[in-house]
Amino acid sequence: MTEPALVVRGLEAGYGKIQVLWGVDLEVAAGSFLAVIGANGAGKTTLLRALTGLIPVRRGEVHALGRPLRGLSAAQIVRGRVGHVPEGRQLFPLMTVRENLDAGADYLPAARPRAERNRALVYELFPRLREREGQIAGTLSGGERQMVAIGRALMSDPKLLLVDEPSLGLSPALASDVFTALGQIASEGVTVVLVEQNVQRSLQLADQAVVLEHGAVRQRGTGAELLADPAVRAAYLSL
Amino acid sequence: MKRRTVPWDLVLVALVAVAAWFVPEAMKALFGRASISYLSLVINALSLAVLALSWDMLARTGQLSLAHAAFYGLGAYTTALLLKHLAWPIWIGIPLGGVVAVGFAVLLGSLTLRLRAIYFAIATLAFAEVLKSLVHNLPTEFAGGNAGMNVAPLFRPQFVAGQMERWEVAFLRNEAYFYVYAGLLVATVLASIVLQRSRLRHAFIAIRTNEDVAGVMGVRPARVKLLAFAVSSLFVGMLGAVEAHRVGSVLPDQSFAVATTVLALVTPIFGGLYTTLGPIVGAIGLSSVQELLKRSLSEGYLIGYGLVLVLSILFMPRGVVGVIGRALRRRRTNAQRRAIAMAGGGAPDEGASEPGAPPEPPARPGGTA
Repeated sequence: MTEPALVVRGLEAGYGKIQVLWGVDLEVAAGSFLAVIGANGAGKTTLLRALTGLIPVRRGEVHALGRPLRGLSAAQIVRGRVGHVPEGRQLFPLMTVRENLDAGADYLPAARPRAERNRALVYELFPRLREREGQIAGTLSGGERQMVAIGRALMSDPKLLLVDEPSLGLSPALASDVFTALGQIASEGVTVVLVEQNVQRSLQLADQAVVLEHGAVRQRGTGAELLADPAVRAAYLSL
Repeated sequence: MKRRTVPWDLVLVALVAVAAWFVPEAMKALFGRASISYLSLVINALSLAVLALSWDMLARTGQLSLAHAAFYGLGAYTTALLLKHLAWPIWIGIPLGGVVAVGFAVLLGSLTLRLRAIYFAIATLAFAEVLKSLVHNLPTEFAGGNAGMNVAPLFRPQFVAGQMERWEVAFLRNEAYFYVYAGLLVATVLASIVLQRSRLRHAFIAIRTNEDVAGVMGVRPARVKLLAFAVSSLFVGMLGAVEAHRVGSVLPDQSFAVATTVLALVTPIFGGLYTTLGPIVGAIGLSSVQELLKRSLSEGYLIGYGLVLVLSILFMPRGVVGVIGRALRRRRTNAQRRAIAMAGGGAPDEGASEPGAPPEPPARPGGTA
């Protein structure tokens, strides 16, 4: 049996005096797709921020790709091939698409030699970005910006990709394109952890899924199981 | 795959440096005796350009340093102390002034650069003020106390009867200083260009725009900021040392004056932040404005100077270079839009929710993406 790509045990984290996560446990098999769903304020983004070193882990253990992450900085974690697509795209608006993408590999000595290959993969995944290569990122549409944000994370040559709310502010058609691309990334063997409010679509894509409530995992199962679960359907799909 | 093969910025620096070589003689030929004071004005502008450009190099990481006067003073005192206590060659004080400033910057930076925005600014201001009072209280026999120390000039041109006129001695002195300041500015400009052409440029933008995103891209913000702080303090330390020789003395209140810090940050804001050209344009612009006002208003010129600064910050928040840059960008964006429209590749589905106008760069350090 292969080692899981991500193991989280009893993770606690928060901001200042406010604790947000209260003992989160996760195990994500290598090459699989995990969806983390939950209401606003459930701790989804905080979970990703703790996993990528943007806020400290107060208690618990995090192992990604066989390496303990606790105490490492964001820059050290991404060097261990854990990519992060942050909430709200966070592109550099005055830089071109190409520059934004390359910035994803420029500061990672291990990813730099593979930049050319990874850029080609990103353009294959999002052909529109190849056409817009020289365009200033600030002039892109929301969907294109999200493509660049995902592309920039892929330039870091990740084996584990953490994606935060990619469908936020996108029209259903564009959100669908983004989800399709994430499915393709997972099928290439990259383990994907997706935090989303678009419950239906993310559960359809996911091999495994967890429901986060008040900073702890309340329910877990395969994507299909949770999609069929009456409680999940009532709470998150209004069905 | 580099698209740009001709380094135009470097070519321009080389051309300007070559042209600068002829400036003093040209001024002498044109203005005669008056060239002495004109050359002094040019030297002041060069000095301001070094001060402003070195400050901007740290500002590019989004950190607002209020310690520039401290590094300037450290450079000045280093060369003065060396001259007073050790019989080393006079020129050694200039690079050593820079090295001492770097040493203090690394020390201060490792303690404070993790602080963000205003907290870092306050910490650096406190450092500068503490250092000033420390220098005040150094033993008089060691550093001159409140009375400071005399500093020997770098050049002592001699009057040669029959070969020159009396005023030409002062001209020769200014000419020599002009080359030192011009050399220092060229070195600062080259350092700035190297930073802007390197990978660090985007790291600076990333840290300034969003430090978290910089982190997940693999940038080590603390390290990058410390490097920028060190480079920035190197040049201002050397400038402080050179100025000490030109002025002829160091004094705690003069060498560590808060006014130096204010000039260091006002000039790039006037000219345009985060660029090599902006601080230089700012230095030339502000020196000229100051001189013109001095001549036309004499006593009350500072009021006019203040008014110009306030108006320029209100109406040109991105400085002179920013105004020009915006016009050029608008042209480029319009051209791109036309190209996209002609190719039929618009984004009509989202045009309404996310208008395509390029957002302005953050006007101040620490803006968001």
